[in-house]
Amino acid sequence: MDNSRANLLEEAVGISKGGRVVVVEDCVETSGAFVLHHFLKRSLYPDTSDVVIFIAFAHPFSHYERILRKMGCNLTVHRKTHRFVFLDMLTLECPDRNGKETRQDGLLALYGEIEKAVEIYSSLEGSRTITIMIDDISLIEVAANGLSNHVLDFLHYCYTLKAKYGCSFVTLNHEDIYSSANTLPLILQPEYLADVIIKAEPLATGLASDVHGQLTVLNKGSVCDLGDSSSKVRNFHFRVKENIVDYFYPGTQT
Amino acid sequence: MASSRPRGGSFSRNISSAATTQIPGVKLGPNGTSFLSSGIPDLDQILGGGFTLGSLVMVMEDPEAPHHMLLLRNFMSQGLIHKQTLLYASPERDPRGFLGTLPSPMASKEEKSHERPAEQDANLRIAWQYKKYFGEQNSEGQRGGKAEYCNDFDLRKPLERHFYSGQRVDCISLRDSPNLAPLLERCSTFSAQIAKSDDNITCASRIAIQSLCSPQCDFSDKDWEMLSFIRSLKGMVRSSGAVAVISFPPSLVSPAFLKRWQHLADTLISVKAIPDEDKELAKLLTGYQDMLGLLSVHKVARINTQVPAILEATTFSMKLRKRRALVLECLNQAPVDGSSGSSYGTSGSCSGSSKTGNLDF
Amino acid sequence: MAETICRALRDGAFEGEHAPALTIKDTIDTPLGSFVFNHILTQLTANILAGKSQARGVVLVALSRPPSFYAELLKDKGFDVSSSSKWLRVLDCYSDPLGWKNKLMERGTVRNPYEETLLKTSLCKNLKELDKVLSSIIELGKEIVEEGKGRFAVAIDSVSEVLRHSSLPSVARILSHLRSHDQVSCIFCLLHVDLHEAKVAATLEYLSTMHADVEPIVQRTNGQRNTSEDLPMVEQSFKIGKFHVRFKRRNGRVRVMREELYVEGSGIKITEVSSEDGFTAQSLVPKVQFNLDLSEKERLDRAKVVLPFEHQGTGKPIQIYDGRKSLNESENEEKQASVEKLQTTEDSGRGEIIYFRDSDDEMPDSDEDPDDDLDI
Repeated sequence: MDNSRANLLEEAVGISKGGRVVVVEDCVETSGAFVLHHFLKRSLYPDTSDVVIFIAFAHPFSHYERILRKMGCNLTVHRKTHRFVFLDMLTLECPDRNGKETRQDGLLALYGEIEKAVEIYSSLEGSRTITIMIDDISLIEVAANGLSNHVLDFLHYCYTLKAKYGCSFVTLNHEDIYSSANTLPLILQPEYLADVIIKAEPLATGLASDVHGQLTVLNKGSVCDLGDSSSKVRNFHFRVKENIVDYFYPGTQT
Repeated sequence: MASSRPRGGSFSRNISSAATTQIPGVKLGPNGTSFLSSGIPDLDQILGGGFTLGSLVMVMEDPEAPHHMLLLRNFMSQGLIHKQTLLYASPERDPRGFLGTLPSPMASKEEKSHERPAEQDANLRIAWQYKKYFGEQNSEGQRGGKAEYCNDFDLRKPLERHFYSGQRVDCISLRDSPNLAPLLERCSTFSAQIAKSDDNITCASRIAIQSLCSPQCDFSDKDWEMLSFIRSLKGMVRSSGAVAVISFPPSLVSPAFLKRWQHLADTLISVKAIPDEDKELAKLLTGYQDMLGLLSVHKVARINTQVPAILEATTFSMKLRKRRALVLECLNQAPVDGSSGSSYGTSGSCSGSSKTGNLDF
Repeated sequence: MAETICRALRDGAFEGEHAPALTIKDTIDTPLGSFVFNHILTQLTANILAGKSQARGVVLVALSRPPSFYAELLKDKGFDVSSSSKWLRVLDCYSDPLGWKNKLMERGTVRNPYEETLLKTSLCKNLKELDKVLSSIIELGKEIVEEGKGRFAVAIDSVSEVLRHSSLPSVARILSHLRSHDQVSCIFCLLHVDLHEAKVAATLEYLSTMHADVEPIVQRTNGQRNTSEDLPMVEQSFKIGKFHVRFKRRNGRVRVMREELYVEGSGIKITEVSSEDGFTAQSLVPKVQFNLDLSEKERLDRAKVVLPFEHQGTGKPIQIYDGRKSLNESENEEKQASVEKLQTTEDSGRGEIIYFRDSDDEMPDSDEDPDDDLDI
């Protein structure tokens, strides 16, 4: 039962292939972090040799390690076998005391690290998709002291890796932060570039112990892979458990 | 120093498993986390055991009532009783003066232990996944020597001076500096002390920051600087064995930034005054006369887990038992109107809208 | 009639006039602007290859999508990419707009960050210096056409990206400079409207001769970005949109075209919509042709009018009709009666009976017995 339900998200997202951009958006009431965990686990399935580069702004390694361990995925081992790169940016401070230049340098250095890792892993043998994950874009903005254009530049550079190396992207951002017009680009720009947008929202009726919220998956159909543009939109409820997340259509929950 | 603890904590420590109380005042929770007591037994239970070690707790103040001070006082007192180090920052000129107002633990243990369990069962339920821990704690309490993990505080009796006269308390005024750099530095040296002491945390510590964005601070209009500070503090706290409680008046933070603050919080609590002598409310809420205010839990720290904490109720009334101890009770509504208080309808909109007043009927 | 646009871009600039410019605008509600851009790019390319167009080649400024994407696109549409250097130059502002990769390469962090494509590209490493971008666009254009004669088209795949790095006036300056350049045949560019303030869209509209808006079929009434409510509509908005073109004609008129746009496979189909909603007529012509406004004098006059109930208490004794003639009244009555008399005396000489028909449906007088169908 659980397996068929877990597929509801995967079904909506579609078959994973390289070079896909997934944007996850959540709000204060309902965290969308579990979607990130799902993609993390998905990318580290033992039957592939895909690599994940995880840029953590929100939580330290121990947090993800423990969560993924419960989901049956050992990050420590993956780290050792070079399938998982964890960049701890919790204390990344693009310093603001020495003016603008250094602030951009902080993100430049981070990008350098990412690209370096991508270059190394893509040069290894075997076909592998490198997935780049960022666990909180709004915190990059905080680190950049509110200069959202720097964040967009940084994201742009990350996206350029898609063209050359076929990297996939999964990023999390908080939709409810961006309510006023002048802050919108940071949520809209990634949406324009995204292939899949996943929104986690609370139910209109509030939270309950058996339904933790709803997911809306907007699958644009890969705009960039010409050929197919089968866009679809799905909405379903979910319940997060330690080891698995149940997805179900409203009312079909047993 | 340990002998100055007001009650025989070592007695109960032996009963409960040895691991749970290796560090005084720290209790093991699920997923490899540990809890610190908030200093309010009821709040601990609502949150599933207390404030998670390494978490950032944010309290949204009511600009019209000082309820957040009650939370801060209890939080700080509890830490001092556990011999935990404390950093207190406040917009007042002399933050150390605030220590004189900290409450003292309740003397008569007997009264407490026979009154508490019944009340817990009747009024407080916590997230299902914590029931086991809840039960454990309950039995611990019933075994007589209720562990020193969490005290009841007598709000009318000031804390004895020797608790805070030592080296363990650090105070800083937010008012003197034009920016947050000094505070950040103090916090980082403070948390470095803890981290330095050993690889695995041997002592917990508390950071309490009162009214972070209050207008008398020079930096109160620097939204990004404050956010950056909170983020840095969160990072520090996470890597050290500390809990930081920040209280702030949400009305002074612009709406877009308020959301950011809320996202940064691991645990998000708001307190609200209730209107005085409101006949409507008196009809609607039983026990209205004794209420000090309302406390809502919007977010519970989710460290090392992806499962959201779904509370059965998110809004509680703050009351004083015997005019001394702060207790939290589920809102008991007279069955007149189902659209208020602790109903799920309002808990869903736990941010933003509810802040502006979930009691504007 | 998206062909109208393509035709205009194909025909290019007239002698002594600025080059036609098209702005394609979309919002996140219907993010189909890039499809339209691709469509127009391929149409123009086809025209160039067929020798029908004024432009001899295209300079594509790639900002939001990599050159390799366009190589794919053109290959997909059946163009010969390997020989594209004759008619296409790509200014690659996508790969390294700020020179980060270059810096990293110099530092030795990465080895070869740049991507290779079949298209002939030129890399732009500093998007902030728009003048250099401008000169490289023109340089690339001159590479295609022989020196001195011939024109080229310029395609900018998202002005939004440029605007992140530069101010609106400088972007506007570049665009108008390109338009007035005597070797530029036409310009078209894409803009994501909601990434910018309203002024940006207005500025680009001002600068361009045509602007094509991609709008959702059903406008969302509430401004909220809430998707969970209306799934079918959201799903639809990724496939279908209104295509709304305003075309500034040379004779000073504006041609408005409203079409529908479908995403089909890799391309789009644009169909005409018959339903004319008369939007333009409404906004141009005053809605009501009656004069409902009062001049100041009229307003004063109106204020002077004494309404019936206001007679009371205006200084005169209050007169309430009690069914009898009071003394004062009888005087008035007499006056009135004399007037009546005057009227009646005028007509008294004749003894006519004047008959007014009550209504038109009554037949003129006839001899027929009105009761002849009466059945007793």
